[in-house]
Amino acid sequence: MASQSPAERLFTLTCCLLAAPVVGLSKQDIFASVMGYQGVESTDALEKLFDRDKKALRSLGVQLEVVSFDAFEDAENQRYRLAKGDFTWPKELQLTPAQLGILELAGRAWNNQQFAQSARSGIGRLKSRGMVEVDRQLSFIAPRILARHAAIEPLTTAIENQEMVIFEYRKPDGSRRLRELAPLKLRLIQGEWVLLAKEASEIKNFLVRRIISKVKNTGAGFAAVAKEEIDAAEADLIDFTNSQVARLTTAADSEAFWHFGGESTEVELNYMDEALLAEDLLEFGSEVTVISPASLAKRIEQALEQVVISHA
Amino acid sequence: MPKQELDGVAQFDLALQIVGLILAEGDKTVAELSEIFEVSEKAILRAVNAIAQSEDLTRCETHFYLNDDALADGYVSFSSGSSTLAGPPKLSNRQSSALAIGLEYLAAMPQFAGNTDIAALRELFTTGDAPAVKLPESRLVRQIQAIQEALETETALECEYQNQLGERSSRVVDPLRLDFLGRHHYLRGYCHLTAQVRSFRLDRILKLERLQQPISEVARNSAVPEEVFGQSDQEHLVQLEVQPEAAEIFWNFPTVNEPKLSGDKLVGEIRIGQLESLPRHIVRYGGMVKVLAPAEAKELVRAFAIKTREAKVG
Repeated sequence: MASQSPAERLFTLTCCLLAAPVVGLSKQDIFASVMGYQGVESTDALEKLFDRDKKALRSLGVQLEVVSFDAFEDAENQRYRLAKGDFTWPKELQLTPAQLGILELAGRAWNNQQFAQSARSGIGRLKSRGMVEVDRQLSFIAPRILARHAAIEPLTTAIENQEMVIFEYRKPDGSRRLRELAPLKLRLIQGEWVLLAKEASEIKNFLVRRIISKVKNTGAGFAAVAKEEIDAAEADLIDFTNSQVARLTTAADSEAFWHFGGESTEVELNYMDEALLAEDLLEFGSEVTVISPASLAKRIEQALEQVVISHA
Repeated sequence: MPKQELDGVAQFDLALQIVGLILAEGDKTVAELSEIFEVSEKAILRAVNAIAQSEDLTRCETHFYLNDDALADGYVSFSSGSSTLAGPPKLSNRQSSALAIGLEYLAAMPQFAGNTDIAALRELFTTGDAPAVKLPESRLVRQIQAIQEALETETALECEYQNQLGERSSRVVDPLRLDFLGRHHYLRGYCHLTAQVRSFRLDRILKLERLQQPISEVARNSAVPEEVFGQSDQEHLVQLEVQPEAAEIFWNFPTVNEPKLSGDKLVGEIRIGQLESLPRHIVRYGGMVKVLAPAEAKELVRAFAIKTREAKVG
């Protein structure tokens, strides 16, 4: 059995690889140098252990490069080294205590969900740069991300690795089809997760909640999309949202009246998606009347009809 | 943040972080490191052990020299041996994504509108500081501001509250925390009317006034439950059949078990205090959520939809 714990073995492996010459280390060099690989019972077990360690390093952002000096060289003779630059931090990176406090809050928002550990360790790495003073004035605020959509995890991984994905998407009119696209960014807009993705040559927005199948990786990669192109698409969505206006009236002193500002029974709202707005309004029942657009009023009528039919 | 126990990979990452900090800033106590990295002292000692045990067997070189005497006195002190390791690698894609999404979430909170630190951090973590949608929430912003001031000064609030059945009450609340969950803000505080820690959705607080009186000793010693859902003596189980697009309904209520996939729909049970408050939560999904049982709940939903439809028809 290996005589080092996984943490000790990974640490020693990293130090050995960092000290390696430019040509890297062969697998045999690594197995001979790192105590944690000594005494492993079989070659097969040793190979599996090394594969696990490579994967663990990659998951932490440490890329192991495989160096081949001869195209015909077999895998046994490949050499390994750490990718240049992984340990080089941007010189200008300097955070204030207030910014670290905000980052802690951003990390805490994951509240033990899937990215909580990554957020925590990310903040730890920033602190290890000597930025340890944290302004915790915001400690009484407890934001909690609701990210239980099964699609969030594979989408985030695909965005990180620039991998194409495929999933089934259903529009509010009930039409459904397979979408194969390049996922670019996940955003939270008006409390909804929105995926920004490039389908064919166009950047489009997809509501994560309307993904109705598993998100699968197609195995294909995609070329990086310029930040300017993503920024423009985001700005388009915001412009679109700000241009969509619904006019409503609320019953005086009702819950809807207070919910929509408590100042006037006449309300104007901007919205990103008419079906989502209809949901928010339906919750208030007869306390809200839609003045415009007519399509929103019609949508609400149809939704009520559906509820009556499904609960007959 | 609560101190975490770590698996092997996280323990390794912590060892890298400790190397970075000690080499940058000099010796620290185990207690200081535990505080800074928000892990237990045991985890710090394990990570320090990983650093101390690291050597290259082929070259017979020790990577770091740990000062054992200092460690016996509670100090972590070491110097580089043959290692060129100076700290952890840059943030991984996953770490950056986790922080970027967290920042995105904070940026959507009205109290952080226009916050320059968040804007700078979003630029740094690659999300870019995308412009926000304008929202008419001046009342909400004023409420949040008043609550934050009360939390900072540890003083009580008086609020007029309307619950989801439309019942109104006036009460003094000692504020303990402000939660932002999904799309809603909640004031978590010790309620003098019920003598319990309760949750108050901000859009249901009709009036809010700051009082001069300091929060009570009972409030100071009260723990805030993790969940915002209140406990009710009489709970009803409601069985639902839900399209995937409306799966969030299972996250907005306490559930009995994880909902199960039946065909292309999810079937599961939620717990609710008063059945009368159920219809609005079902009707909002316009047929994507169907009550299977009990029959009484199904009828309440149908009646709510019919009443609303009739009111709209005129």
